[in-house]
Amino acid sequence: MSPAETEQHQRFLRALTAHEPAVRAYVRRLVPSRADADDVMQEVAIVLWDKFGEFREGAEFRPWAFSIARFKVLSWLRDKGRDRLVLSEEVVDLMAEENALDETRLERQRRALEACTQKLEPDQRQLLMQAYQPQASIQNIATTSGRTVAGFYQWLHRIRRLLQDCVQRELAKEEPS
Amino acid sequence: MNLDELANRYLDGQASAEEVLQLDHLLRTQAASRRHFADLANLDSALAEQAAGWEPQPLSKPAPAKPLRTAPSRLCLAAAATIAVLITSAWWWQSSTHIYATVARGIGLTEFPQGMEIYRKHYSIQSGTVEFITARGARVVIEAPASFQFASAQLLHLKQGRLAADVPPAAKGFTVITPTGKAVDLGTKFGVDVPADGQAEIHVFQGEVIAQSDKGGKRQSLRDGEAYSLQSGAGAAREIRSAAFIQPDEMQALQAALTSGQRARSDAAIAALRQDESLIALLDFEEETLPSGTFRMTQGRWPGSRAPEFVHVGDHMKLTAGGNGRSWPQLTLAAWVRLDRLGQPYQSLYHTDGWDEDKPGQVHWMINRDSTMRLALKHNTLAPGAVEKQGFPDSLTPVLPEQGRWVHLAVVYDAPAATVRFYLNGRFDKETRQATAHPALLGPAQIGNWNSKDRKLSGRVDELILLGRAMTDDEIRALFDAGNPYH
Repeated sequence: MSPAETEQHQRFLRALTAHEPAVRAYVRRLVPSRADADDVMQEVAIVLWDKFGEFREGAEFRPWAFSIARFKVLSWLRDKGRDRLVLSEEVVDLMAEENALDETRLERQRRALEACTQKLEPDQRQLLMQAYQPQASIQNIATTSGRTVAGFYQWLHRIRRLLQDCVQRELAKEEPS
Repeated sequence: MNLDELANRYLDGQASAEEVLQLDHLLRTQAASRRHFADLANLDSALAEQAAGWEPQPLSKPAPAKPLRTAPSRLCLAAAATIAVLITSAWWWQSSTHIYATVARGIGLTEFPQGMEIYRKHYSIQSGTVEFITARGARVVIEAPASFQFASAQLLHLKQGRLAADVPPAAKGFTVITPTGKAVDLGTKFGVDVPADGQAEIHVFQGEVIAQSDKGGKRQSLRDGEAYSLQSGAGAAREIRSAAFIQPDEMQALQAALTSGQRARSDAAIAALRQDESLIALLDFEEETLPSGTFRMTQGRWPGSRAPEFVHVGDHMKLTAGGNGRSWPQLTLAAWVRLDRLGQPYQSLYHTDGWDEDKPGQVHWMINRDSTMRLALKHNTLAPGAVEKQGFPDSLTPVLPEQGRWVHLAVVYDAPAATVRFYLNGRFDKETRQATAHPALLGPAQIGNWNSKDRKLSGRVDELILLGRAMTDDEIRALFDAGNPYH
């Protein structure tokens, strides 16, 4: 790489590292599973680097990345839509649009969650983190925790509701009253 | 089913076709539902993000079932709770600094001093080899040229490079993501090879790994001795190349040799050999211009040095030396070789072009199917009473230890004395006597892959020497000692 290219590469990596969690979460909201989000993210990262030359210095990286991610998700849906259970393109496109505008709120939610998972009982948190490991086997986790698979999903839904409520409360605290 | 249930089932991959349709309808028609769904999915991805940096911590045993009633006990309980909170905070603080791995050793590079902490950051290395220990205890060796990033203790993006991983049960699930697919470990030893151009490959040395190609490839379970190429769409089975990867246990010996100044001794020995009047060819592959052919340049036996690698049938390097009507009554052939796999077919080290009736003395040097070494000269015959079954001089000891390492191979041919003497790692192995012994005929030749049907070379070659005289046992020993990359 020439010095100019190296510099450009470093600039790109700084931007990507800073915004990657947000872009990943954006993709996650539009595809059915976390594994799908990983797949799409890989492609998004490649396109971002390819097109980084066209990215205007001073423009905002995140909306630009969102627009590329949106495009990638839609083409992924077109590829997968036939043999996978996915939401319709129309709905996904609508949500992509709305989510991009709503990003500030969603990011605050993600930050607030950190405080909320700490409030869980240690063994509950441990179980939850296990369930969210890449390639986790829900079957095994359910069995070791003494639940049926259906029972485990019920538990997972309840925990998510608890966390969701906690996040709302945390955010309400931040609002100036 | 209400929106909340539908959304949860969808996010967990549990929703039926009908449920997805219901959810789709709700989301299409109600902005509030879309907002609620986005919140839930957002929570889901934030949890996944947290889980990626999560380290399991030992849970204290739950208190005995017997209810505690006395005041002091309550105090104890309160104290225990406080301690639990402290421990939790300490854990949280630790995991939020996100040290995903530390450097166990780096050789041939300065960017990775021992003990260096690795965060979520992109790294590029042009030369050398570095060994990491992840926060979960997996040992990962990455060989240059490489470009990679730990996204968590359990997730490594490998854009280019060669990686060998030794994954203990605690790190089960360790995942390597390549540009064409990913490998998910299920408690095992495996390697991932991502060339600068071309498809990534997964090689399983022990245990089981799940391979998944991009773009809709099926998940593929690989076990001991299996290899797989990750391609967009369907992948394909490959031959295992276990020795193509530098494993954690090899790193120590390589590092010790470098530290003790072995590289300098090797360079001095090569410089001395270049002054030898009988030298026909010496390839250490460090020059800018390399002979033509089809091969990949990889790391040589010193971290930071270079060596050609031959992977596919047909890969080869052209070498024209020692021809022009000359023939050689005495000839020494030697090379450092790192063979990827054993057994079928022949592994071709050095073959002159052709095997012609009118060219007595043409030289073919190879590894047999049983991994002994062979030196065949056209129209030579064995002396009476030879033990060889196939009519050619073969070495006695199989030249390839099972474990992948650099090995030094040498053979000394002496036509006037009618002998072929084999050496393995500097040690004399066997002498075969010839009845007919033509002077050796060289000229246009190939390193690796002689005949597209039955002869290839799968591995790397370094420091190949053709010398027009017979080296003595001591000289071969000294050649090995000076060039040995291990301590």
